[in-house]
Parts: sequence; structure tokens; C-alpha cells
Amino acid sequence: MSAAAELKLAGFRRPNGEWGVRNHVLVLPARAAANAAAESIAAGLDGAVAVSHEWVGAAGDPDAELVERTLAGFAANPNVAACLLVAVSAADEGLAERIRARGQRLELVTMAEHGGTAGTVAAGRPLAERLVAEAAGALREPMPISALVVGLECGGSDALSGITANPALGIASDRLVAEGATTMLSEVPELVGAERLLARRAVSPEVGRRMEAVVHEFERSVEALGVDIRGAQPTPGNIEGGLTTIEEKSLGAAKKAGNAPLTGVIGFAERPGEPGLYVMDTPGHDIEQMVGLVAGGCQIVAFTTGRGTPTGSPIAPCLKISTNTAIFERMEGDIDLDAGRVLDGSHSLQSLGEEIHGALLAIAGGVPSRSELRGNREFAIRRAGRTA
Amino acid sequence: MSAAAPGLRAYRRPGGGFGIRNHVLVLPSVVCATQAARAIAEAEEAVGIVHQHGCLHVGDDLRHTEDELVGTAVNPDVGAVLVVSLGCETLRGKRLAAAIGERGQTVELVGIQAAGGSARAVAEGREAVARMRAALAEQEREPADLGGLAVGIDAGEDDSLAGALAVALMDRGLRVLMAPAGLRGAEAHVTLAGLGAQLVLSLPGPDDAPIGFAAVPVVAVGRGSDLHRALADDFDLAIDEGSPVDAAEPVFQQLLAHAEGEPTAAERRGARDFVLHRLAVTM
Repeated sequence: MSAAAELKLAGFRRPNGEWGVRNHVLVLPARAAANAAAESIAAGLDGAVAVSHEWVGAAGDPDAELVERTLAGFAANPNVAACLLVAVSAADEGLAERIRARGQRLELVTMAEHGGTAGTVAAGRPLAERLVAEAAGALREPMPISALVVGLECGGSDALSGITANPALGIASDRLVAEGATTMLSEVPELVGAERLLARRAVSPEVGRRMEAVVHEFERSVEALGVDIRGAQPTPGNIEGGLTTIEEKSLGAAKKAGNAPLTGVIGFAERPGEPGLYVMDTPGHDIEQMVGLVAGGCQIVAFTTGRGTPTGSPIAPCLKISTNTAIFERMEGDIDLDAGRVLDGSHSLQSLGEEIHGALLAIAGGVPSRSELRGNREFAIRRAGRTA
Repeated sequence: MSAAAPGLRAYRRPGGGFGIRNHVLVLPSVVCATQAARAIAEAEEAVGIVHQHGCLHVGDDLRHTEDELVGTAVNPDVGAVLVVSLGCETLRGKRLAAAIGERGQTVELVGIQAAGGSARAVAEGREAVARMRAALAEQEREPADLGGLAVGIDAGEDDSLAGALAVALMDRGLRVLMAPAGLRGAEAHVTLAGLGAQLVLSLPGPDDAPIGFAAVPVVAVGRGSDLHRALADDFDLAIDEGSPVDAAEPVFQQLLAHAEGEPTAAERRGARDFVLHRLAVTM
């Protein structure tokens, strides 16, 4: 089985031994004050993508560790051939070091050495051009499926999510795991009520305990805030889509992970270990979690949607799967695959699962996802430490 | 008073007051709509905001976020607003557009799910922005009273230079809004714009870099630290920390020049940042 699967995959081998399915040059501002410089450096340069964000990096910000881990993980994702870090000052060298320590090819341009934005763009543009030229020399080679990491996400869920798209994605996930790949479920708020089902599948009692613990920690944090999660979960769109409670949403959301054993539970933006099914501790927010998954090494994200969400990542293709045919047809060009076809009896869940599996491998091999064709490149900084 | 301000010309607003810019703002209600908003703004040369908020807020944070977006949208520097909504978000696009309209602002709404996908939403949005731009293009700057210019000051607490400048600017007839305690930099810019400041005077701390803002011009004043000297091009003015009295007149003149339309350093480098202070983490 695995030998046949290996033949299907071709990716970019990185010097640190990881495998990318895309070959981007990332122009990353270390802080928001470098956003304009990063955007200008990447503007009109094919192969380079800039990612503006809201991290100011104020002294003493309790989220500094989380944000640096996220930015470093994102920059070190193997879909990134090289990163040009646009630093504001020497204070950002820690982030540069962190990216280098992951074995990523990094160039650094520092605004304080160039008088500000204009000089930084003048100095950074040739660096970015050189990195793009270097990356263009990389060729796809046969890639072991054990190097493939696929995120499992849902956004804008409806009452069909747990009946069509999510179970079909679960079948694809099970097949990938059986073939030796890694898949990653996330969005802990949307696993409330499903934690025991997942814990029962854990490969060890410790992993099972960790599974229950992340959900319980989330519930405690909501209590500590003194708010009612029902104001946010399910969302107004979920409710219009026929979902009634967070538990109902969760039981449907967990189906994305199929029936494979749960190999591990990891923190936000952390990398998984041995191949298998993982749960990453992320919020339910579609973009924060996608950034976490990609920072954790996912090269592709599979994203099911009932309401219709045009979402993507700056550096990772996103395969969007509709839960119903109406939204697939209505959101013309935004969604890759329609799992609503299971409802008219023309397709079985199994056949849709196979189709999703095939689509993920095709995307891994270079076929662009709709999110890439549309240019979706949303980004968000996860906050954890700051509450009122 | 207006005799003291012979040159100040600005855009009159229907509800009274004036703006010193005449932006069409393309405002996504949620992060999922930012790509469509960006595409619309870039194609139509409008001001697009990119932010990461609008979904899975809890408690007071939802209302707070909506207030900050509404405040930005109704700032007098904004002549008209297009809200770009996804459709299933927590911070409802329809409600956001209605709240902006209730404050007297010209506003239209395009929804990605309602339009039938992002391509149609971008096409509809571009038409709306083109209409708004055509209407605003007919408007010219008219003489305006300096007393109607509100300058928001972004500085640290107990910043004696900021305090002295505030007094000096008020002496010259301007209104001054100080950033709320605990808010600095980019987060303060959003709040100051929401309070009605048409212009922000930013005094970054010695180790802070200047940062731009999408909706209103930010005039960044360096105060002589190593970092500020190293980033001199990104500041509009450098002053001597030691003598705020000497600094007041050049700062005042600099503010007037930018109020009359001269682009700030942040506007020249295209810094359209939007950094929101949040009351709670995202769920």
C-alpha cells in the first residue's frame, strides 16, 4: 500500500529533511510596523507572498512566546522554500534565530539599518528576488506519504456538516493515516461534548487524558471569563444552518477525524511527532486555527463548509468541501468539491471519501486549490494571554 | 478663530464638521471577507482595511469590536463606506452596516454568501465603490474652522511632552483627544479615530516604531532615541525631547500641512494598519 502511495506524491525536499507541496518565498514582517515594507517588497514579485499581521510586539506582552512560536512555525512550514524576515530592529533577532533553528533558509532585512521603510524595500527587494530565483531551481521529487500533514477544518458549519462533508473527510483522513500520513483535527471549542469519544480512541491513557484535559481547560477558561459561550458558539450562521447547540456542532465536527486511533494531542502551532491522527489545541476561529495548523507543519488543509466560506492560507492550499449542493453551486468558483451529492443517492460517503483523498493528493502534487486560484491568503495572530 | 487659520480647507460633512481626507473605506465585517475587501479596494483605489476579527467573540468583546469598527467607519475623514460581509459571522455585516448608517454615514453592504460567492461579491462591491468615489470626487475642499479639527494624541501615560503639546495645540485653537489610559500605538489610533479625531499625533516611546493607520492620517513624531533616529524616514518630524515649548510650533505647522492634504510618512509608505484592542480572546 505505502509503496503505491509513494509513487503518487511528488514534493519539494527541503535541506532540513522536510517536504513541501508548494514552493513559496515568504516575506514576513516581524512586527506590524514592518507590514508596509514587507508588502512593498513582495508586490508584483511572482513566487513571493507577504503576510501582514497585527502583532505589535509591545514590551511585556504575555503572548510573545505564543506569537513567536506561531510566526516561526509558519515561516518554517516546508511549503516555504525560504523566508525573508523584515525586522524592525535588533530586538527581532530572536525570531530570526528561531526560524533558522528550524532549519529554514532565512534572509533578514532590518528597518533600523536602512533608515525606515523606503530603504528597507530597496534593500529587501533584491534579497527576495534572489530567494525566488533560488526556489525556482527546486524540482519536485517522489515524496514519502509519511511526510504529508493534512489539517482537518470546518467553517460555517450547518446541520449537514456532520452528515455529509465531515464523515466523508473522515474517510479520507482514515485512509491517509492508514497509508502512513498525518492528519490533524483542531478547534477545541468545537470538540466540547466529543472529548470522550476521541479520548477512547487514544493510543495511550496519557493521550486520552490530554484529550479530555484540553477540552476541560477550555471550558474552565470560558467560566473564568464569566461569559456564556452560547453567545459565540454556535455562531449565528450555524444556527441559521440548522445547528442548535455546541454539542451537536461538536459531534459533527469530530467526524472529520474518522475512526483512526488518536496518536497525540499537541499545543497551538506545535509540530506533531510520528505519523498518525492528532488533535491540535486551537480556537474555533477559522483563520486563527488555520494559521496554527500551518504553523504546526500542515502542508494542506481540508476545509468543510455548509454556509460557504472562501478561505485560504498564504502558503498552504486549502481544499474546500461543501456539505450541500446548493452552496457549492451558489458560491461559484470558491468551493472545490461537493459532498452534498451523498444526499441524492448518487454517491456514497465512501466514494466521496475516496474523491476527497484523491483531490488532496492531486493538490499535493501541484494542482491549485480554489483558494489559491482566488488568491485567498487570510492570516490572524492567536491571542491567549490577554483578557479584560 | 478662523482668521488664525487662513489656509485650512477640508471636506464638509452632512452632519456638520469636516474631514481632512475623503476616503471611501472598504470595511470587512469579518476576517473571512478581507480578501474580497482587499480586491475591491485595490481595484477601485479605495482604502481597504484588513483585520482578523469579526467571528467567535464572546461577552462584551463583540459589542466592543463592533463599536470600534463603527467608530472608524463614521470618522469624518471617511466620505463613504462599503461593508463587506461573509454572512455567517458573529459580528453581523448587516447589523454593522445599519449601525454605520444610523450615525449618518453613507454606507452600502455586499455579502459574499448573499451575492453567491467571492467573485460576484467583488464585482458588486467594485460597482458600489465606483459609485461612491464618483460622488465624492465632485466634492472640493472648503474653508473650515480650525476649532473643528480634533487631533488625537497617542502617547504613554504621564508623558510630559505629550501633555505640553496638548496644551500648546489647544492654545492654538485645536481640539485635542488623549488616548485612553493603557492604549498605545496602533490600538490607540483605532480608538481615537472612533472618538472623532481626524488626525492622530503619534509620539511613540523610545523603543517603539511608528505605525500607520488605515482611516485617518497619523503624524509620527520622533523624539531622538536611537531607534527613532534609525527609522528617521518613517517619521514626519523629529523634536527635541528637552524643550516642548520650542517643539509646539513646528508640530502645529506639521499637523496643519497634513490636514491640508500633504501625505504623512505613513500614507506615503502605504501603511494601512488596523490593530484592534480586544477585551477577550477569540473562542
